[in-house]
Amino acid sequence: MTEEKLTVPEHKLNNRDLWRMFMRLNTMRITLNYETLQGVGFMRAIAPALAKIYPDKKDLSEAMKRHLVFYNSHVNFDAVILGLTAAMEETTPPDEKDGINPLKTGLMGPLAGLGDSLIKFTWLPIVGSIGASIAFGGSIFGPILMFILYNIINMGARYYAVSFGYKKGIDFLNNNQQSDVIQRISTIANVVGLMVVGALIATVVKVQTPLKIAVHSNVSSKVGSNVISLQAMFDKIMPGVLSLLVTIAVYYILKKTNGKHSAMLIVIMMVLVVGLSYFKIL
Amino acid sequence: MKVFILTALAFLLGIDDVSTKMFRRPLLIAPIVGIILGNLQAGLVIGATLEIMWMGIGDVGAYMAPDLITGTMISTSLAIMGNTNGSISTMVATAITLAVPTSILAQQLLVLIETINCSLNGWAKKLADKADVKGTYWLTWPPALLYGFTRAFPTFLALQFGAGAIQTAINDLPKFIINGLSTAGSIIPSVGIALLMMTMLKKGELWMFVILGFVLSSYLKLDILPITLIALVFAFLYERATREPQVAKTASTAAATENVTDSEDDEEDYDL
Repeated sequence: MTEEKLTVPEHKLNNRDLWRMFMRLNTMRITLNYETLQGVGFMRAIAPALAKIYPDKKDLSEAMKRHLVFYNSHVNFDAVILGLTAAMEETTPPDEKDGINPLKTGLMGPLAGLGDSLIKFTWLPIVGSIGASIAFGGSIFGPILMFILYNIINMGARYYAVSFGYKKGIDFLNNNQQSDVIQRISTIANVVGLMVVGALIATVVKVQTPLKIAVHSNVSSKVGSNVISLQAMFDKIMPGVLSLLVTIAVYYILKKTNGKHSAMLIVIMMVLVVGLSYFKIL
Repeated sequence: MKVFILTALAFLLGIDDVSTKMFRRPLLIAPIVGIILGNLQAGLVIGATLEIMWMGIGDVGAYMAPDLITGTMISTSLAIMGNTNGSISTMVATAITLAVPTSILAQQLLVLIETINCSLNGWAKKLADKADVKGTYWLTWPPALLYGFTRAFPTFLALQFGAGAIQTAINDLPKFIINGLSTAGSIIPSVGIALLMMTMLKKGELWMFVILGFVLSSYLKLDILPITLIALVFAFLYERATREPQVAKTASTAAATENVTDSEDDEEDYDL
C-alpha cells in the first residue's frame, strides 16, 4: 500500500463546528456569480473553521483570501471537499499552504461530474418517477415519498459528508483502492435508472390513435363492413409500442442537437400534436 | 388573498432552490399550490406531468436550465385558477402550455442575478483583509432576498393579471386546440425521458435495460416500485459481469503506486 502522504488531523474542530460549517454550506450556492462561481460561498462556509484553526489575525486573513478563488462543484461533494479542506488547513505546515488550493481544484471537477450523474440524473429521476406514478393515481403519498427519499440523500448525506471529509477524507485520498467503489455505485445507479426510464415510457407516455381501417372483405364485398381499430391491433402486438417509438424518435432528435433545444422541441411537438389531433390521427 | 400566499410561497421556494434545495422539483411544488387553491387532485396530476416532462433538466456546467420554480408556480396556479369548471385534463393541458414559456423567461432573471452577484467578490475580499469572520454571516442575505424577489415578482404579476386572460382564452379557443393540447400533455413527457436517456446511455448495450423496464411495465403491468427493486438485482449482476478483472485492478494500483513514489520526493505535488 501507499505510504501516507498527509497526516491525519488531531481534530481541533468539534461536532458543533462541523454543524456550523454544514449550516453555511447550505447557503453556499446563493452567492453564485459569474466571476468566481461559488468562491465567495466557499470562503463563507469555511470561515468559522478557519477562525478556530488560526488564532492569529494575519494568518486568518491570508487563509480567508486563499479560499476566495474560483470554485464550483456539486452540492453533496462540496461537503466532502469542505471537510477535507478544513482538515488540510489544520494539518499542513505553514510553508506548504499553497498545496491546498490545487487539491481543491483537482477534486472539484471530477466530483462535480460524479455528483451530477449520481444525484441529479439518477437518484432524483428515480424518486421523481416513483413519486409521479403514485401521484398520477391521485394520492398525496407520491410527493411525500419523493420528498423523503430525495432529502435523505440531499440533506442527510450532506451533513454526513462534511464530517466524513473532515475525519476520513485524508485517509480516503491516500487510499487509491476506494476509487472503484464509486465506479461500481455509479454503474449500478445507471442501470437502475435506465430500467425505471423504460418503465416510465410504458406508463407515462400515452400515444393512442383513433384511426380505423376499413377492411375490404371478399365475402361481403361491402367497404367498411369490417372495421379494425389500429390501436387495438397495436395493443395486441405490444402494448405501448407507439409510446416507445415516439420516445426513441425524440431521443434521436435530441441526440442530434445535443439536447440544447429541448424547450423548442416541446413547443414544436405541441403544435404538431394539435395539428394531428385536428385531423383525427391522434 | 390566495395570490399573496402563493407569492410568499414563491419567495420562499426561490431561496430554497439555491440553498437547501429541498423543494426544487415540480412534483414537490405543484401539490402545495393545489392545496392552497383547494384543488389537490389537479396539483398532483400537473405536478407529476411536469416532473416527468422536465426530468432530464438540470444545469450542467455553463448551461443554465429553465427556471422550474417560477414555471411550475405560475403554470400550476393559472391552470387551476383559470379553469373554474374545467376537467383535470384541461388543467394539465393549460399548465404544460404555460410551463415552457414561463420557465424560459424566468431563466433570464437568474442570469441577471448571477451578474449582480459579482459585486460580492469585492465585499468578501474586504472582509478577508480584515479577517472579519463575523461579518461573513451577512454575505448571503442580499442575494438571498434577490433570489426570493425574482421568483415572487413574476409570480405575483402573472397571478394578479393573468388569471382572467387565461380564463377567457380557454373559453374562446376552439375545442380542438384544447383537446389537442390535452393529448400533447400525455406525449410531451417523452422529451423529459429522452433527455434523461441521453445522460444515462453511456454504452449501446445499456439499451437492454430500457427494454427490460419497458417490458416489465407494459406486459406485466408492474408498478415502478417493484421494477426498481428488480432493477437493483439486474444492476448488481451487470456490475459483477462487467467489473474489471482482479489482474487489471492490481496493475492499475501498481501504476498508481508508481505515481506516488514518483511524487514522494516532491511533497507539494499531490498527484491524485
